[in-house]
Amino acid sequence: MKKAADSGNDKKISRRALVKGGAAAAVTMAWPAKLALAGQDAAAQPEGQKGGSRLDPDARVVHSVCLGCNAHCGNRIAVKNGTLAEISGNPYHPYNSMAEPAAYQTPVAETLALPSPVCGKAQDAANYLTNPYRLIRPLKRTGPRGSGSFAPIDWEQLIREVALGGKIFAELGEERTVPGLAELNSDAPIDPRDPGLGPKRNGLVFMTGRLQNGRQEFIDRFVKDGFGSTNRIGHTDICGLGFRMGNLALTEGKEVELKADPWGAEYILVFGANIYEALQPGINTYGAAVARRSAAGKLTFAIVDPRAQNASVHAHDWIPIIPGQDGAFAMGMIRWLIEHRRYNHRYLSAPNLEAARAAGFATYNNATHLVIDDPAHPNHGRFLRLADLSLAEDEKAIATYIVLSEKEGSPVAFDRLDRAVLDRAATLRDAKGRAIRVKTAFRLLREGVMAHTIEQYAAFAGVPAEQIAGTAAEFSAHGTRAAVCQYHGAGNYASGTYAAFAVAALNAMVGSVEMKGGYLSGGGGIGTWKKGPYNLTDFPGKRKPAGVKISREKGVYEKSSEYREKKAATGSGYPSRRPWFRFTKGGLSVETLSGIDERYPYPCGALFTYFYNPVYSTPGGNRYIETLRDPARVPLHVSIDTSVNESNLYADYIVPDVTYLEGHYGWLNPHAPALRFTGLRTPAMEPLTCRTADGRPFCLETFLIDLAEKLELPGFGEGAITDRDGGRHALHRAEDFYLRGYANIAAEAQVPVATATELAFVERNYPVSRFKEILNPEQWRQTCHALARGGIFSDYQSVFEGERFLHGIKRTVLYNEELATSRNTLTGERFPGTLCYLPPMDASGAVLAEKDRAYPFTVVTHKMNVHTQSRTSCHRWAMEIFPENFVVVNEGDAARMGLRDGDRVRLRSASNPEGVEGKAKVSRLIRPGCVAISFHYGHSQLGASPLAVKDAEQVFLGGAAVAKAGGMKGDPRLGRGLNPNLLSRLDERLANTPLVDMVGGIPDFSSTRVQLVKL
Amino acid sequence: MEERRDFLIQGGMIALGLAGLATPGKAEAAGNTPRWAMIIDLNRCTGCQSCVIACKAKNQTPAGLFNTRIESNEAGSLPTVRTSYRPMLCQQCKEPACAKACRRKAITTLPSGIVVVDQARCQGDGACVAACPHRACFLNPARDNRMDKCDFCLTRLAKGLLPACVEGCPSGARLFGDAKAPQGEFGAYLTRNDLAPQPGRAGRVSYVPLRKNVMEKKS
Repeated sequence: MKKAADSGNDKKISRRALVKGGAAAAVTMAWPAKLALAGQDAAAQPEGQKGGSRLDPDARVVHSVCLGCNAHCGNRIAVKNGTLAEISGNPYHPYNSMAEPAAYQTPVAETLALPSPVCGKAQDAANYLTNPYRLIRPLKRTGPRGSGSFAPIDWEQLIREVALGGKIFAELGEERTVPGLAELNSDAPIDPRDPGLGPKRNGLVFMTGRLQNGRQEFIDRFVKDGFGSTNRIGHTDICGLGFRMGNLALTEGKEVELKADPWGAEYILVFGANIYEALQPGINTYGAAVARRSAAGKLTFAIVDPRAQNASVHAHDWIPIIPGQDGAFAMGMIRWLIEHRRYNHRYLSAPNLEAARAAGFATYNNATHLVIDDPAHPNHGRFLRLADLSLAEDEKAIATYIVLSEKEGSPVAFDRLDRAVLDRAATLRDAKGRAIRVKTAFRLLREGVMAHTIEQYAAFAGVPAEQIAGTAAEFSAHGTRAAVCQYHGAGNYASGTYAAFAVAALNAMVGSVEMKGGYLSGGGGIGTWKKGPYNLTDFPGKRKPAGVKISREKGVYEKSSEYREKKAATGSGYPSRRPWFRFTKGGLSVETLSGIDERYPYPCGALFTYFYNPVYSTPGGNRYIETLRDPARVPLHVSIDTSVNESNLYADYIVPDVTYLEGHYGWLNPHAPALRFTGLRTPAMEPLTCRTADGRPFCLETFLIDLAEKLELPGFGEGAITDRDGGRHALHRAEDFYLRGYANIAAEAQVPVATATELAFVERNYPVSRFKEILNPEQWRQTCHALARGGIFSDYQSVFEGERFLHGIKRTVLYNEELATSRNTLTGERFPGTLCYLPPMDASGAVLAEKDRAYPFTVVTHKMNVHTQSRTSCHRWAMEIFPENFVVVNEGDAARMGLRDGDRVRLRSASNPEGVEGKAKVSRLIRPGCVAISFHYGHSQLGASPLAVKDAEQVFLGGAAVAKAGGMKGDPRLGRGLNPNLLSRLDERLANTPLVDMVGGIPDFSSTRVQLVKL
Repeated sequence: MEERRDFLIQGGMIALGLAGLATPGKAEAAGNTPRWAMIIDLNRCTGCQSCVIACKAKNQTPAGLFNTRIESNEAGSLPTVRTSYRPMLCQQCKEPACAKACRRKAITTLPSGIVVVDQARCQGDGACVAACPHRACFLNPARDNRMDKCDFCLTRLAKGLLPACVEGCPSGARLFGDAKAPQGEFGAYLTRNDLAPQPGRAGRVSYVPLRKNVMEKKS
C-alpha cells in the first residue's frame, strides 16, 4: 500500500492539516522522475541513513517515542532497505509541536509530509543502533572481575548458572560456591535477628539505570511480584533527586516534578536547569518553547547558575551563584517579598481549597494553618488539629486543621472561613484548659527566612544584594504567570532538600502553583495498562515484597532492632550505622551501592544491573570498583546492557540487550509541566542481537522470562496472563506482555478503531505487527489507531479551565509536618519543618566549603545538547562536532594562573589526591572560583580500551572490524576528555562512600572542590 | 545522497521537473520556478546543533566535514555576559565567488537560486574553497575530492519536503520557502525590515540579528 495514495493527490499537502507555523511545507512540487542510481558500492557508503525519506514508496514508517535521552519526544522513523533512512518528529506528539500537535483524528496519510523536528541525539540513533561495540551474545567472565576477560556462552548455560549458581568459576581457580537466584528464593528472614528487614529474597538487588515505563513494569513483575524482592531500585538520586525533594516537601509527597510552564509563562527563573542543552522535556521541546516565545517578546527568563549556560544567548539576566547556594538566593528573595509585601497575600491567606478556588487559584496553601510550636506538647511540630483542642478522637477531628479568624483572632476550623490570619504566634487552650503554643505556618517560614539579612544571603550566594532584590521584584510582577524551572544543578547536593524547598516555595509565594504560565505538574497519561481486557497486574502466586530496602529509603530506623538494641544498651538509639531516609522520594542508587559495600542493613546476595553505569555516572562512582570486585560483598553480578562499560567490566555475566530502535516497548506519559498524553513505543527495526533456539532475541525480557521459567516463578510462562473472559495466555515473549498493555491502554482511552488504511499502515510498516495474533482482531484494530499515531495525545489548551490546570495537586505547604517529625538518624535530631538556610555539609555536619578550603575551585558539571548521560560516545556525529571536553575556567582566574585555551591542567581533590588531567578552556561563561566540566567524556570503556574477549568477531556487532588477535580492539578516540566524577567528594564519616544529603539521600554534584595546576 | 550525485553527473535538471532550466539566466523559462530563500532568526537559535546533525544524517558528509555548522562567541563581562550562536552554511550567493574562481565552469546557479557543482566537470582544483568568504564548501574525499556543499537539500525539495536543517530545527529558527510565493511564517518573516545577509557576500540566506538583551543594555 502506498502511503501517499490515500490522500488523493499525493503531490499536495492538505492545508487544513497543517500545524500552525509549519506553513513552509505547503509547496507544490512535481515528483522527481525515476532516477537511475549510478553504480555504487553500497558497502562503501557511510553507516546510518542512506538517503531517502518517509515519503518514499519503499520506506517503512513507524511513529514511536524517541529514547535518545529521557525527554521522550515523539519520533517518526523511516526505514529503507533495512537501514534507517530518515528520522524526524511525530506531528501528533506535543513535544515535537510546541504543545499544539496535529489534531489526533487527522488521518496518518495527511501528516506524513508535515515537518516535525527532533534533536541531534535522535538523529544519531543511526550510529547508536549500529555501534560496532555492541554485544550480540551473552558473556561470562574468564578472568578476575575487572580484567576485561570474557567469553561468549550459550543462552541455556547463562540461564542455568544464574538460576542455580554453583562452582561456576572453578575453571578460573575460584572454589567458592556462587549462590544462584534459587538459593535466594526463600521466605526465611535475611537477618534472623531482625525479621523486620525482610526475607532472603531481598538479597536480590536489581538496580535499574535508564529505565522507562513499560520495561519498568516488566522488571517489577519479575523482581517484586514474581521473586518477591523489595530491592528493585532506580537511579532517581543521581538523576535529579534534589529538586524533587523540594517539591516533595512543598506538596506533602503528592508530586515531585513541577516546572515553569514554558508555553504560558511571562517570566521564568531558571535554577540549575540547563534548558538549552538538557532537561526533560528536552531541547526539542522546553528549550525550543522558551526560545520561540522569548524571540516573540512573550517571555523573559533569568538564569541562576554558576555557569551562564547556552541559554545566556537569550537570557534577561545571569545570577552567577556559588554552587550549593540556591537556597540562599531563594530565601533572600523570599525575605524581600515579605519585607515589601510582594507575596500573593490573597493566595496565602485562603485557608482551604474552596476559598482559594473562589479567589481564582488552582491550589491552596497551608500558610494560615497553625502548627504546634511547643516542645512540651506530645504533638510538637505537627499541625494543630481540632482533636488537639477538643480532645475528641473521631476521624473528622483528627483531619481538621485550625486557623485563626481575622476578626477575633480566635481558632476556627480551616474549612469554615474564606480568609484567615497569615502571620501570628498565639497561645490557645485545649478542652482541659492546658496551654498550647502555636504559630501559623507562614510565621514559621518567616522566622526561618529572617534568620539572615538579604546582604548575608547575597554573601552566601556570591552575588550582589541588588540582584536578589531585582529578581524578587521581577518575579513578583507577573501575577501567576511567573514560576521557577528548577532542575539538577540546584539541589543535587548535600543540604539540597532545603535549597530545593526554598526554590519551590517561591512559586507558592506568588500563587502560581498549577496555574497556566506558572508552576505546573504533568497531566498524566490517557488510558492505563493496568485495566482493560487483560489482567497484567495480578496472577496466582503473586508475591508481596516486605521489609526494608537496602538503601534504607522510606525505612523507619526507629522500628529496627538495631535501634532497639542500641537504645537498650546506651540510652539512645542513635546513630544508625548508615543514614536511613524516612522522608525521601527514593530511587537511592548511591545508598544502595553503599549499603552493598557495607553489607548494611543486610548483605547483597545477587546484584543485577540494567542499563546502568554507576562507576562512571555516579559522583565518586569509582569508589564502588572495590565493592563490585569483591565476591564477599557482591556474590553474583549480572549486567543487562548493550556494551561493556566501566561498571559491568566487573560483572560475572553480561546479557546483551537491544537498543530502543529494536525494542524497549513502553508507554510514556508527560514530564511536568502541563500536557496529558501517552506515547506508545514500538520498535522500528528487527533486533540485531542473536536469538534463542525458538527465535526470540537476546534482550532484557527474554532473559527475565527464561530465568523466571527456570526458577518456576509465578507470573511467567504458560497461562501467566488472564483476560476478562477467563482465558489464559502465555508470557513467553516480550510482546505477550506489552501488546496486551497497549490493548488495555487503547481500550481504557476509548480510542476509535483504526480505519482500513491505518490498519494496513501499521501492518505494513511496524515490526510489532508480526505479533498481532496476540490480540483478537478487534483489539488489534483498536490498538492500531493509537500505534499508527505513536500514542494517544491531547494538546496544551485542553488541560486548562481558564487559568487553572485541571490535573494538578490541590494543596501546597510552607511547613511540612512529616519533614518536621523525621529525624537525622545519625544525630537523632529532628529536621526543620520549613525553610532553613543550610550550606552543604557532610555526614558529620562539617561545612564542606570550610573543610576543603585548601581547594580553591568548586567543580560543576553539566550535560551537552548532543549527548545524553554515559552512553553516547558511539554517537559518531556528536563526537565529530565535539571530539572531547574541557575544564572550563573563568577568564579572570585563567589570567591570574597564566592559563590559555588548550593548556593541560591537573585537578586534585581531597578524595582524589592524584587527580585527573584535562585541557583548559578559558571562558567568561563561568563564575570565578568555579570550573565547569561537561559530562559524557573521559570514558575508559564502551570501545575506548581493548578487551580480552574470546571470539570477539562473534560477540560484537562490528565483527571483524573491532576484533583483533586475543579480543576486541580499542579506539582511543572514544576515551578522550575527562570524567569529573573521578574527583568527587567522598565522606570519611561513612566509610569513604560518596557524599549524600542526610534528609533525602541526594548525591552531591556541587560541593567537590579542587586544586587546579597548570602542567 | 546517491540520487543527488547521480543528478549532477547527468547534468540535468529533469529530476526536479524543471526541464530546460539547466542554464543559468533562463530563470523565467518555467512559470512556476520557485526562488528559494532561507531566513535564520538568531533570537530563536539555541545552538542545539540539531540542524548540523540532521544535515549530516541526510547528506552523509565525511567525518569532520559539514554542510552547516554553528559558530559561537562570548560577549560582555561578568556578570553581563552571554554566548551567541550563528548557524553558517552556503549562502547560495547571488554572485558566487566559487563560480567565479572555477576555471572549469563547473559551478552554476539554478533558476531557483541554488548554486550547484557539476560533478563531471569538477576536478577538485579547490580554487572555489579558497575563494568562498563563508568557508561553506569543501573538497569531499568520498567523491574523489570534488567540491561539495549545501544545496538546500534538492532531493528533499523535489519530494515536497523542507531541507533537513529546516525541518530539524526545534525552535523554528530556520525559515524556508519560495520568495516568489511566500506563505505562512516564512512569508511573515520576509516582510521584516531587520533582515541582514551574512557579511561578505549576499545570497539567498538572511538573518534576523540577535537583539541586545537587558544585560547588554545595562553594561
